[in-house]
Amino acid sequence: MALKKYFPVFVLPTLAAFTIAFAVPFILGLFLSFTEFTTVIDAQWVGVSNYIRAFSNADFLNALWFTVRFTVVSVITVNVIAFALATLLTKGLKGTNIFRTTFFMPNLIGGIVLGYIWQLIINGVLRFFDVTITYDPKYGFWGLVILMNWQLIGYMMIIYIAGIQNIPTDLQDASKVDGANRWQTLRNVTIPLVMPSITICLFLTITNSFKLFDQNLALTAGAPSKQTAMLALDIYNTFYGRIGWEGVGQAKAVIFFVIVAVISFIQLALTRRREIEQ
Amino acid sequence: MSTKEKNMLGRTLIYIVLTVIGIAFLSPVFIVLINSFKGKFFISEEPFSLPDKDTFAGLENYVSGLEKTGFFSAFGWSLFITVFSVLAIVLFTSMTAWYIVRVKNKFTKALYYVFVFSMIVPFQMVMFTMTKTAGELGLDTPWGIVLIYLGFGAGLAVFMFCGFLKSVPLEIEEAAMIDGCNPVQTFFMVVFPVLKPTAITVAILNAMWIWNDYLLPYLLIGSEYKTIPVAVQYLRGGYGSVDMGALMAMLVLSIIPIIIFYLFCQKYIIKGIVAGAVKG
Amino acid sequence: MKRITAILISVAVVLTLAACGKTDNKPDTNAPQAGTVYFLNFKPEVADIYKEIAAKYKQEKGVDVKVVTAASNTYETTLKSEIAKADAPTIFQINGPVGYRAWKNYCEDLSDTKLYSYLTDKDLAVKDDNGVYGIPYVVEGYGIIYNNAIMQKYFALRDKAVSISKATDIKDFETLKAVVEDMTKHKKELGIDGVFASTSMGSGEQWRWTNHLASVPVYYEMKEDSDDSTIVSTLDEEEIDFSNSKQFRNIFDLYLNNSVTAKGLLSGKTVDNAMAEFALGKAAMVQNGNWAWEQIANVGGNAVKAEDVKYLPIYTGVEGEEKQGLCIGTENYLAINKNASAEDKKASIEFLEWLFSSETGKDYVVNKLKFISPFNTFKDDEMPEDPLAKEILSWMKKDVNNLEWTFNSFPGQQFKDDFGNALLEYVQGSKDWSHVEKTFRTSWKNER
Repeated sequence: MALKKYFPVFVLPTLAAFTIAFAVPFILGLFLSFTEFTTVIDAQWVGVSNYIRAFSNADFLNALWFTVRFTVVSVITVNVIAFALATLLTKGLKGTNIFRTTFFMPNLIGGIVLGYIWQLIINGVLRFFDVTITYDPKYGFWGLVILMNWQLIGYMMIIYIAGIQNIPTDLQDASKVDGANRWQTLRNVTIPLVMPSITICLFLTITNSFKLFDQNLALTAGAPSKQTAMLALDIYNTFYGRIGWEGVGQAKAVIFFVIVAVISFIQLALTRRREIEQ
Repeated sequence: MSTKEKNMLGRTLIYIVLTVIGIAFLSPVFIVLINSFKGKFFISEEPFSLPDKDTFAGLENYVSGLEKTGFFSAFGWSLFITVFSVLAIVLFTSMTAWYIVRVKNKFTKALYYVFVFSMIVPFQMVMFTMTKTAGELGLDTPWGIVLIYLGFGAGLAVFMFCGFLKSVPLEIEEAAMIDGCNPVQTFFMVVFPVLKPTAITVAILNAMWIWNDYLLPYLLIGSEYKTIPVAVQYLRGGYGSVDMGALMAMLVLSIIPIIIFYLFCQKYIIKGIVAGAVKG
Repeated sequence: MKRITAILISVAVVLTLAACGKTDNKPDTNAPQAGTVYFLNFKPEVADIYKEIAAKYKQEKGVDVKVVTAASNTYETTLKSEIAKADAPTIFQINGPVGYRAWKNYCEDLSDTKLYSYLTDKDLAVKDDNGVYGIPYVVEGYGIIYNNAIMQKYFALRDKAVSISKATDIKDFETLKAVVEDMTKHKKELGIDGVFASTSMGSGEQWRWTNHLASVPVYYEMKEDSDDSTIVSTLDEEEIDFSNSKQFRNIFDLYLNNSVTAKGLLSGKTVDNAMAEFALGKAAMVQNGNWAWEQIANVGGNAVKAEDVKYLPIYTGVEGEEKQGLCIGTENYLAINKNASAEDKKASIEFLEWLFSSETGKDYVVNKLKFISPFNTFKDDEMPEDPLAKEILSWMKKDVNNLEWTFNSFPGQQFKDDFGNALLEYVQGSKDWSHVEKTFRTSWKNER
């Protein structure tokens, strides 16, 4: 086919950009995680010592644990609320479009801006107790959870709505005729049929929560004492904040990548299996 | 109570619940808006009260914020980078995806998997090396960052275009080829129009990402060309100390264009999200 | 035919992409040899003035000067990401010997420059055995700024609990404490919300304590061992006792307990807030340096008269502090990027020499930047006129022991952040003082 010769037109631009922006930096990043360096040229091979330093770094372990807890809590809250709202908005009521528009709106606002909006509000509320968000890591944790809910509920809700609308109405009607109550209909008809949406939403919320950076930086910047720093922020701080820790920062980034990759693959495998079953 | 009455009651309840949640969703933006008109030292003192005679500062925060952040130029750079990056991504990756789908060999297959793989790599992994590579190549400019976004956004875009193209029948393309079109003509006259819905989805997802992106533009061009998120973050320490008033005003100004855009393109955005989610 | 089209198009595409990379890139291609200057500025409060200076220089000499200012407390971060670029800063700042250690691969030897020869006291420069690498460009001082109008009001009270009658009689911590605590009792009559302005503990806002205040006890600790410059001797300290931690706590507690703001809210406070509280007359005292004058003067509704703004040394309760003066020094040393091109280095040095020796340049330094300059190109009357700078100059002439800026030799930003975080936890009551002491020692050891 003639197309094949057109490689330079069709593929080269994308591939060139991809190589510069991703492929080369990725391989270089893997390499640098085994070295000590300040600029790339002076890299010296040190084996796995950066990884050892990373895993014995209390800040890193704390960030990892914080991130895991945060991800679990926000994945549950976001999806439960989003699903509930989607059910309410698919009851064929008038004017639901306005609500859909409203609930989705925060999703378009960038992380930095979101962080400052919520910093103002949370500090405003905590003022009644004469403290601020950095008083206790708990405040920062729940602040981030609230922020994440505010941002992501609309997005997930849209996906759930699409999923619910795809269910043939006669199926739901049939189950009502069979005498199933609402709860049974939900469990036995709705949820299995929106399973693809649930999978997607879980995946999106997990990766988004896990990789959170901007919101974290703007809301607490890790305060107090880096106790509310998530993985991405900890890596950034290690890398740019400390001289002599660049290699460790890069090693942390590789570990971070591996964790995200594992989560993604598990997710992918689950989706595949479900697709085969259907 | 009759079924009808019961239904009425149920509906009213739902409306009440939805309205309460709706207010909860809108109030943060509203609170920022009222605070943007208060004197900067009153904002953290009494964030929930409306401005009054003592606290009202008029447009002072807006004036000082615009001055300190260079907001208009930040807006310009954000717009410039977003528009050109999105155009580049849609154009070049759709071409690449078509090539990958239609030229089936080991190389294109490998290419496809490399692109897909890049989707799951977090930015921190290449944060330093990418900035360094791009800096060495002189790509630390607004044009250069367009190229970087093309490379970085390629994964998801190629994946989505490929997914769609697999279901497009070959016949029309072959007919065009027989009529004497070369592949470039075929692509732009026959294939690209078919791709339009996916192209819109790709454009929306990437626009949302690039417009709001902070770390990449900050590290690559942040010292010279500030996009809106970079300018907002810079306010926090750029003048020795945070000016809450200017911060509030800039938050408002950065939200307004998004809301206007959203209200106009709502249909496409929501469709795009759904389509993107189903394929992603 | 098709092939040719394909090749042509691909060439076009590649060229467009290449052009993407090149357009409005470094100006060196169209203006060879000229050399350009890229100054990475450390002082956010004068960012705009440097921009003005750059424009003026371009107008006078036709040389491009790019000024970039790092957000507060992110100088090292910014420097690190900027210096890795092809278009790296040509002039940057190091904060003294510790900064030199971190950046020595980038510091050009400046011993043969006129700029170095202008230094009144050559010992002020950052040097090692081989050359001169950092040149201070400003002399600064800090202490406790007080509003004398409020002090006079207090000393006029009939039921005041102290025997002294003016602020200048305060010569040690004990007296200071007595005065401050009695003022807190009378705060309604004095019309203030608290004696001290907020102890700003927001992130990036803690340097008044982690750097400036901590400098005082460490200065005395180092002085016990030797009479050498504490900046030099501290640099070699692998570990530290923090033996005067009690004195640090003395004054820090005094700030906290007599503050305008409740302890729990301090983490939301900024330096700007504190200066505004002082400017509006809500507080009588605030610890800061002479660079803060603009911040005081520019607050709308300013209630402080210039002639009422005075300095008091930071008394902490050490032996023999009656003779203590202000903390005078600098953490601002200019360095030239060794890896820049020869033209750019030359252009950068010329720019600095112009700034600190030409009439136009000096006018900016004195009247806009308001720097007390350490160069002999400035005459005695070429000094800033604002009240804080005048106070610093007068304390320099007094027969007192003005303290060096020992914190110049503290470990890097990480140590300061660790220490600041510990202080914040102490302020908020979640950790006790021993946690602060422990953090100070362990982080010092780790970050050395």
